[in-house]
Amino acid sequence: MNTRSKATAVLLSSFILASALSACSSNNNNGESSSPSPSESSASPSASAPASESASASPSESPAGIDTSKHVTLQFYMLGGEPKDLSVIEKKINEMAEAELNATVKFNFTTWTNWDQKYKLLLSSGQDVDLIFTADWTQYQSYAKSGAFLPLEDLLPKAAPKLQEFVPQDMWDAVKIDGHIYTVPATYKEYVNNGFVYREDLRKKYNLPVPKDIASFEEYLDGIKKNEPGIQPLSMNADVKGNMMDVFREVNDDTVGGPLPYGIGIKYNSPNDVYSYWGSEEQINDLKVIQRWQEKGFFAKNVLNVQDTLQDPITTGKAAAILGDNPTRYNDTKMKMQSTHPDWELGYTPFAETRGFATPVHPIHNGFAVPKSSKNAERALAFYEKMVTDKRYNQLTQYGIEGTHYTVEDGYYKMVGDATSNGFPREGMQGWAWRNPEFMLFDKSYDGVKAIFDQLDKVAKPDLFTGFAEDYSSYQAERAALEQVEKQYFYPLYAGLVKNVEEGVQTAMDKAKKAGLEKVQEAYKTQWLAYTSEKGIQ
Amino acid sequence: MKIKDDKYTGLFKFIAYAVIILTSLACLFPFLLIISASFTDNASIIRDGYHFIPKKFSLEGYNLVLKAPDPVLKAYGVTMTTTVVGTILGLFFITMAGYVLQRKDFKYRNFFSFVIYFTTLFGGGLVPWYMLLTKYLDLVDTYTVLIFPGLMTPFLIILMKNFIRSAVPDEVSESAKIDGANDFKIYYRIVLQLSMPGIATVGLFLALAYWNDWFLSSLFINDPKLYQLQFYLYNIINTIAFITQMGAGSGVSLGGDIPTETTKMAMSLIVTGPILLLYPFVQRYFVKGLTIGAVKG
Repeated sequence: MNTRSKATAVLLSSFILASALSACSSNNNNGESSSPSPSESSASPSASAPASESASASPSESPAGIDTSKHVTLQFYMLGGEPKDLSVIEKKINEMAEAELNATVKFNFTTWTNWDQKYKLLLSSGQDVDLIFTADWTQYQSYAKSGAFLPLEDLLPKAAPKLQEFVPQDMWDAVKIDGHIYTVPATYKEYVNNGFVYREDLRKKYNLPVPKDIASFEEYLDGIKKNEPGIQPLSMNADVKGNMMDVFREVNDDTVGGPLPYGIGIKYNSPNDVYSYWGSEEQINDLKVIQRWQEKGFFAKNVLNVQDTLQDPITTGKAAAILGDNPTRYNDTKMKMQSTHPDWELGYTPFAETRGFATPVHPIHNGFAVPKSSKNAERALAFYEKMVTDKRYNQLTQYGIEGTHYTVEDGYYKMVGDATSNGFPREGMQGWAWRNPEFMLFDKSYDGVKAIFDQLDKVAKPDLFTGFAEDYSSYQAERAALEQVEKQYFYPLYAGLVKNVEEGVQTAMDKAKKAGLEKVQEAYKTQWLAYTSEKGIQ
Repeated sequence: MKIKDDKYTGLFKFIAYAVIILTSLACLFPFLLIISASFTDNASIIRDGYHFIPKKFSLEGYNLVLKAPDPVLKAYGVTMTTTVVGTILGLFFITMAGYVLQRKDFKYRNFFSFVIYFTTLFGGGLVPWYMLLTKYLDLVDTYTVLIFPGLMTPFLIILMKNFIRSAVPDEVSESAKIDGANDFKIYYRIVLQLSMPGIATVGLFLALAYWNDWFLSSLFINDPKLYQLQFYLYNIINTIAFITQMGAGSGVSLGGDIPTETTKMAMSLIVTGPILLLYPFVQRYFVKGLTIGAVKG
């Protein structure tokens, strides 16, 4: 071999090595690079949607007012894992659906692994999907805006009139994006506002104040630190943004909702005033408090590496308080803790006590939509109507088979067996979206949560934030860069690990500005103000 | 007979042993922690952390699996089937491809090599690949979708091509042709026997890729009976991670049983244990296969 072909051989082999190594990560990278796909690939099916609507305009003699002469199989997609006895329930549902709607349903679950990637692929690949779960945390607003779902307002009166009546009009209005209804919201009213969670028995023992706001909470933590050196006063983990900063701001800074991105600040009581929380006096003061907590030893120095849940340390007694958690999870933690330590007590002070109001869950929080690629939109809607309004369908898919999976005692739900032997636990299909308050059965332990909800009902005010659909396509690159800056420069501040807070904030702000902070904040502000004027929010 | 540089050899031996022992211990310790954690009571892990000897002994991590072993056994079955079938089929196709591509009298070998190599640099992306496998080939919930994508990895094809080129001189295949052997006979009788080390290496790569795969399950399999082993384990861990990630604000509560730390550890052991136990027995075949071509006349 002469030198030239030797050189090419070396070059080629190094290319092969490089490409082999890149091939290892290519699968994951491709996932990121194809993220704008919902808007691209669903632009073409948009032409088919009006065609299918006009074709289904012909009524027929079936009970639902739609044509059920052809047998169809509906693909129903839900997040999470499937219960062990799903096939039993599926068979029972299909017996009824065959007879009443001439349709069979296949229940599919995405599992919690890569569910967001799978969700994206289900909507963008044109696969046969007839019903799919939506929520604010599954990016309902952006998917709706980019045309991933069918508008339902024309189909509802025809295919699901009972459902249309059942859901109140203000809920239908609340889920409208760009003037169209894209999802069927769940009607069960619950609150996911946070509240202080703390060991009540320890509070009584050492005569500490009831945590009501940041100042009294800090006093409580001081007391725990002094009197129980073996217990970590505050339970905190690596997600310092979600579990420390956002919650802190919720109780201390009157946020309109959350989490607010890109360091934006908007107060609930002045929703049209958009300011930059990052770099503000407000932020510096908040961070100084957290830094003081870190110094006093309220939580671990290596908090950014802690992977525990917030609740586990409370149930085992390793920690004494959580900065903020919602009523349902608080109740859960309390039950778990008391099953192993019946003499411990867990107290809860909703933030509503200091803020003066609570916001019930926005209708967008749990819903079901019909993707654009569905070929059986009417049958799908009619089936969903049955899931929500027909007691047999609803209770089968929420609780399982009475007698086998659960029993009703004094109007309460009681599980048969325990969590490992039961084949269909309560809401085992993650049926949050098709709950029907009239048919719901609660475990006795849920009474505590209901009591808190009743308390919050008295001070309920509407949720102003969740209806907002952010369109970040024009600043996607800056958005990704800002995320990086936050993780690198703001997280240590959020964890109270930076000694000189002003300097730390200054450095972080410099980096953020370089990453395009001002452009992103301006764009968000414009979109937000357009949203508030459209909805008439003062 | 004593050799002069004895003390340096001794020193070298000492250093070498020390380094290797320390590195092996460093690799071993995390695994020992996992074993110990899987036998510890869950509350004690959260409260006291991980220890080499369980602070509070308990078998609760294994309970979940022992009470309902079906999912794990099925996952094992699926992964073993796909690994065995995938490796055999893959080796078959890859050796054929490698053999053809290295034959100097194959006129279009440059073109085909280029096309194969090109796909490693430029892919169609995740969505088109997903659409191909779900919409056009309709392979959702089948064994085929678990085996098919990994059969012809370009890297392994090129690796095989080079192995065969260096192991089988042109003269040998030419002489076989003169003796009247057709291409398949040359492939089967001569090339395969001579490139055993290559086959062993590529086979190992393939087997590992199939054994460790979870991505295909997550995208294309909806039926839990067809989950691969690694996906099943990853799922359990992700359920926990999801709950942690959802944070305080979303109010999402899960009805099902949420596995604890010890179950995570126990699952990891159950999944990796049999392979670890199997490897010492299989090891000598690999070593033998790899060295068999080293000493040649």
